[in-house]
Amino acid sequence: MQHFSARYHDGRRSIAHDATLTLRPDHWLIHYQDPSGELTSARWTLPGIVTDENFSDLFIFRYGSFPQQTIECKDRQLPAALTQHYPDRVFFKKGISRLFKLSNTAIAGMAVLVVALLGVAYWYGLPLLASAVASRVPVSAEVEMGDTMYENLLHGYDVDSTLTVKVNDFARSIDFKTRYPIRVTVVREKDANAFALPGGNIVVFDGILRKMKTKEELAALLAHEVSHVHYRHSLRNVLRSLGGYLFLSILLNDINGIVTVLADNSNALANLTYSRELETEADQKAMAIFQSEGLNIKGFVDLFTMLKGEHGDMTNLKLLSTHPLTEDRLRAAEAAVKGQRNVKEDAGLERKWEDIERGYHGDE
Amino acid sequence: MELHQNETRQLSFHGEGAKLFGIYIVNILLTMVTLGIYYPWAKAALLKYMYEESEFEGSRFTFHGTGKEMFKGFIKAIGIFIGLYGILFLAALSRNFTITMLGVAVFYIGLLILVPIAIHGALRYRTSRSSWRGIHFGYRGDRKEFLNMFIVGSLITIFTFGIYGAWFVIEIRKYIFKNLRFGNITFSYEGEGSAFFWMNFKGYLLTVITFGIYFFWWAKELFAYYVDNIRMYQGETRLTFRSTATAGGYFKLIIVNLLIIVLSLGLATPWAIVRAMQFVFNHIHIDGPLDVNAITQTEADYTDATGEDLADMIDIGLV
Ligand SMILES: [Zn+2]
Repeated sequence: MQHFSARYHDGRRSIAHDATLTLRPDHWLIHYQDPSGELTSARWTLPGIVTDENFSDLFIFRYGSFPQQTIECKDRQLPAALTQHYPDRVFFKKGISRLFKLSNTAIAGMAVLVVALLGVAYWYGLPLLASAVASRVPVSAEVEMGDTMYENLLHGYDVDSTLTVKVNDFARSIDFKTRYPIRVTVVREKDANAFALPGGNIVVFDGILRKMKTKEELAALLAHEVSHVHYRHSLRNVLRSLGGYLFLSILLNDINGIVTVLADNSNALANLTYSRELETEADQKAMAIFQSEGLNIKGFVDLFTMLKGEHGDMTNLKLLSTHPLTEDRLRAAEAAVKGQRNVKEDAGLERKWEDIERGYHGDE
Repeated sequence: MELHQNETRQLSFHGEGAKLFGIYIVNILLTMVTLGIYYPWAKAALLKYMYEESEFEGSRFTFHGTGKEMFKGFIKAIGIFIGLYGILFLAALSRNFTITMLGVAVFYIGLLILVPIAIHGALRYRTSRSSWRGIHFGYRGDRKEFLNMFIVGSLITIFTFGIYGAWFVIEIRKYIFKNLRFGNITFSYEGEGSAFFWMNFKGYLLTVITFGIYFFWWAKELFAYYVDNIRMYQGETRLTFRSTATAGGYFKLIIVNLLIIVLSLGLATPWAIVRAMQFVFNHIHIDGPLDVNAITQTEADYTDATGEDLADMIDIGLV
């Protein structure tokens, strides 16, 4: 017969009785002194005993219906004694809670695993998921969503309506071979920048227009942005950014607001950028448009050189950071120039370009 | 010895950062692997741990809730939220001004009704699943009454541009404490809206003027105002709560915790949580002749876990 010292709560009053627990074949006996000093006992039949799952070294058992009686025992020999006395009954389940009592090395290993899994989910899973979702969104819904974003976004900009009309006129003369309705908006901003929203809205800063020398450069820029729209790169980026925001806020919700703020900002920065693969894909499509339109692909080389040439000039970094320019892109454009045969001089487009040039020189 | 007159008691927190870290890691891993379904079990594990490391008069607290109980509530909560966000999203997509405004209205009215229901549910559930020496806590508030009070209070707060907010917060605290039970022990909250309003007014103003330095005094005052106004009644005996936190203590807690979290990129957050818990417990005193052996069981069982998870998702930071 084995005895264990324990604490007993009767479930009716908050007294902690110092008690002795005795294990009997089909029940437990708990002996304690009640406040008047009288020796009292409680009898727990086996089926009614429930083990309380916990993380510390305290073994807690409950008995009966509400309000339950409780005993707490600190004796480390108790589990072994229980298995010995009641071989058919499992008091301590090997559930998930056992995981919490693992060694420090196991926990450190799991921490590394979690961080790695999070990284994989964020850097690989999220883009995959975003493009899978993007490919299922109908064009009409995409256009509608993009237009809503465009309206919200435009509040922050000063639209140059004269140039907008002229550049749209210019864009209409080129067949971009896309089912999206392409609409260009020129805004007054010093930075050399341009970006495409899902569904066909393209915003061009007049800062980049002023730096261009030829119609081919503008055509190259537009063709590149249209290709981002056409291949739904913009939608994918927006979805990824939304997903990233959700991911981080769910992940950090319980943890801390400060980290969320830090993470959110970097998330916004990271997601504005198209990946190099997407840039290459957009360039290829844009150059194919040039081929079929008979436009000189040298426009790309000039555009890239213009951006790259003034590398020290901070204003250019905007476009380069959202559309990363690499040596590979420049070289691919140069190679395409050599392979091009069918360059035609489009007098109509040239006139429209001169009109645009006059438009912004007139401003100054 | 004037021990009897100056009788005072404290809670203590024995949690360890390393253990809490282990629980967090296992929780995050399982929640990720199960695509979020494990969340209620994760929550239960965390609460169980925090409770069992909290001690009063040599006995630990216990949280009896289970993931299984909270799972149903979790699913309901997610459903309601997806529904509300879906309405908002579709309304925004319509690009029709009236429909969009209507969608926004439905969304915010939905939230305005959900928040008090969530607070109420969380209080009922959480208290009924908390015990000490086998004696259960309980919350006897009435959902309809609380809902009315909350909606009216929110609307007045909006129409007074937030000024009524101070009175509103105090009113809610009074209601909650009035309905809180720990066995046959009852509570009350003695704060006043006007005092609370001026404390916040002064705190905000001085924080702005001192470029944030006064914030620590403000935080200390808010904590003290919360704690010092709690009363506990055991029969005829009235017990008072007392805060001993100082602005310096707050400063140290917040700055060190910030450093711990930021420098570890969030990984050491469990250690920061342990420090915060210890700070709170170390700075609350319960004064008065409490008979810790004479608390009797009074509260019945309660089953509906919806509030628990709604509260968690809206993140109103309950207890
Ligand atoms: Zn690009």
